[in-house]
Amino acid sequence: MFFALTSDQQEFGAAVRDYLAERFDLAAVRTVVENPSDDGNPASLWRAAGEQGWTAVTVDEEHDGLGLGLVEAQVIARALGAGVAPGPWRGTVLAADAIRLAGSDEQKAAWLPKLAAGEAVGAFTTRGSAATGLPVVEYGALADVVVAPAEDGLPGLALITGATASPVGSYDGTTRLASLDGGTAEALPGTTVELQKQLTDRATVLVAADLVGIAREALTRTVAYDRERTQFGVPVGSFQALKHALADLHVGVTMAEHAALYAAHAVDTGLDGAELAVAVAKAKSSDVALQATAAMIQFHGGIGYTWEHEAHFFYKRAKRLAGQYGDVAVSRERIASLTIGA
Amino acid sequence: MDLTFTPAEEEFRAELRSWLGAHIPQEWTHPGFWESLEDSESFRLRRDWERDKADAGFAGIQWPVEYGGRGGTPGMKAIYDEETVRAQAPRTVNPLGLTFLAPTVMAIGTDAQKKEIIGPLLRNEVVWCQGFSEPGAGSDLAALSTKGVRDGDDFVVNGQKVWTTNAVHGDKIFTMVRTEAGSEKHRGISMLLIDMDQPGVTARPLRQMSGASEFGEVFFDDARVPAADCLGEIGDGWRTAMLLLSFERGASGISQYTEFRRQYDEIAAVARRLGRADDPVIRDDLARVLTELECLRLHSMHVLTQVEQGRDLGFEASMTKLQWSEAFQDLWEVYDRILGEDATLDALPDGTDLRPLHAQAMWSRSVTIWGGSSQVQRNVTAERVLGLPR
Repeated sequence: MFFALTSDQQEFGAAVRDYLAERFDLAAVRTVVENPSDDGNPASLWRAAGEQGWTAVTVDEEHDGLGLGLVEAQVIARALGAGVAPGPWRGTVLAADAIRLAGSDEQKAAWLPKLAAGEAVGAFTTRGSAATGLPVVEYGALADVVVAPAEDGLPGLALITGATASPVGSYDGTTRLASLDGGTAEALPGTTVELQKQLTDRATVLVAADLVGIAREALTRTVAYDRERTQFGVPVGSFQALKHALADLHVGVTMAEHAALYAAHAVDTGLDGAELAVAVAKAKSSDVALQATAAMIQFHGGIGYTWEHEAHFFYKRAKRLAGQYGDVAVSRERIASLTIGA
Repeated sequence: MDLTFTPAEEEFRAELRSWLGAHIPQEWTHPGFWESLEDSESFRLRRDWERDKADAGFAGIQWPVEYGGRGGTPGMKAIYDEETVRAQAPRTVNPLGLTFLAPTVMAIGTDAQKKEIIGPLLRNEVVWCQGFSEPGAGSDLAALSTKGVRDGDDFVVNGQKVWTTNAVHGDKIFTMVRTEAGSEKHRGISMLLIDMDQPGVTARPLRQMSGASEFGEVFFDDARVPAADCLGEIGDGWRTAMLLLSFERGASGISQYTEFRRQYDEIAAVARRLGRADDPVIRDDLARVLTELECLRLHSMHVLTQVEQGRDLGFEASMTKLQWSEAFQDLWEVYDRILGEDATLDALPDGTDLRPLHAQAMWSRSVTIWGGSSQVQRNVTAERVLGLPR
């Protein structure tokens, strides 16, 4: 039995976290948040994503990737979530996954090496279709290639290039969204219903892992603050009302970490119950990230509600991601249908 | 990531499974069977069964061979926990002796104590109680007031313990006694091993809200215990107790998950039978509980991994206790909501007997109190794991 990250996997996450701490801290995130009209993809950060293999993680070695699994990808996602890092990393990885798993040899050769190197930006969505338009796509305006359903309500995925992008506003300033129309759509020939589900599962796990990173970091920052901040002559962290809430959050975040890790492994290896594992990971991580980021604001007191404090970066990103690929209620309904029937 | 057990461990599983299949009568697995028995009859059956199990080589799975154990791996212990629950084997009569006392004796007991205690424990010939809680000292264990006064080679013990599991059936009790007059808090306490079958020791059953009497109270009136029956150093009982309690961690989460998951499935079946499985609120409730139960399963795999790697989990054990006890309690809250206004009836209008389920529902109220209440676990987690100030 070995249910844990290997030291290599831990180092992968640590490298991302170290990079963000040293080269792209919350002050840098703030410049992205406060300049909503720029593309939201700082060049230095994106270059690092390519150079350090963050975008190459699941691409096979034959196409210049690292050939690793969703477990490693979720390690990166968790670290990026902890840093509330902007950029089209997730969409790029997911587009590459779709092409790797369902693309023709020509499509693979054309896109995978570029996506792996961060020379091309990818995007992935399950909302809308190539036929009718895509209402909300993360980094849709920057994407060189978008993977989306080919037609509304029908199985099948398309590769879309050259679409027209219009910005979509969001109070989560750590990302950029766009709606997309037109462009050229070509089918991903290897798409099956099963594969399409699996790609949605992969996307869901990466979002869950981002949420887990957000939740852990929100909790860690709150604990650090409450150890120091004094009221009534003592650190506020000595008050039982805070202690108990923070202890419950610690348990919750730890469980969400387990859940995201297990879901990634289950999808990677096609375990029985992978579908349930993904739904559990999404339900738990959404729930706990919303709680932890709300607590971050509450337990920083008035300063936590200000624009100057970074708590809102975490809270707003958690809000957006908690709703993606099924919010808490939708994820739980999926769990119910899997365990007690329709 | 490797979620499999070794071939030797899987071989052990097959062997155990086949033995359990042959030695657990069908009727034992019927809902309500154990509740239908007289307390003493149930105790006798469980005790006999455990002796047979020990004779078949399925006791002390992880105990060293030199003590008569099997010398198995943490994985085998996890498999044992899982399979016994899956087979609906009766619960052990000696949980405190097996989980806490035996490993402590192996670690710090004298040679005489090792010889006298461990073998009989393995065969469940001696049933042990834990004498920690007192009427004035529950979660605040250091406030205990039971006194032991040295008289020649003996201690003479006076005081009272309460909420003692198996008090009435127990043969011996490992107990915390203040052996230095006037000492305070953690100091001057000894852990004495006291024979309960002697003048000066009286045990009385305590009826619980479930109606059962698993607990009891124990009174010491000039009970005598040889000073040689102190576990660890005299006056250093606090350290002995902390060592003893540290053995609570381990892989038992896997067996708890197996048990709770079966209960979840039973409850979901009740929901379907009552036509409540379509209610979106009930579905959300059940899914929330299932999420926490799945997290418990994964957490126990994490704990097992840590144990196999030889890592000390320390105060993280509080997290495990919080997770399982809160999830279990929530499960039975949901059960009540499914039954709605019929939740308190002995049987449903269609005749379904609800009493065995009620026993579990009532029991769920206790799990967030004993073994360190949820409030204590939250303090431990906040202070020892998160480093928040006291």
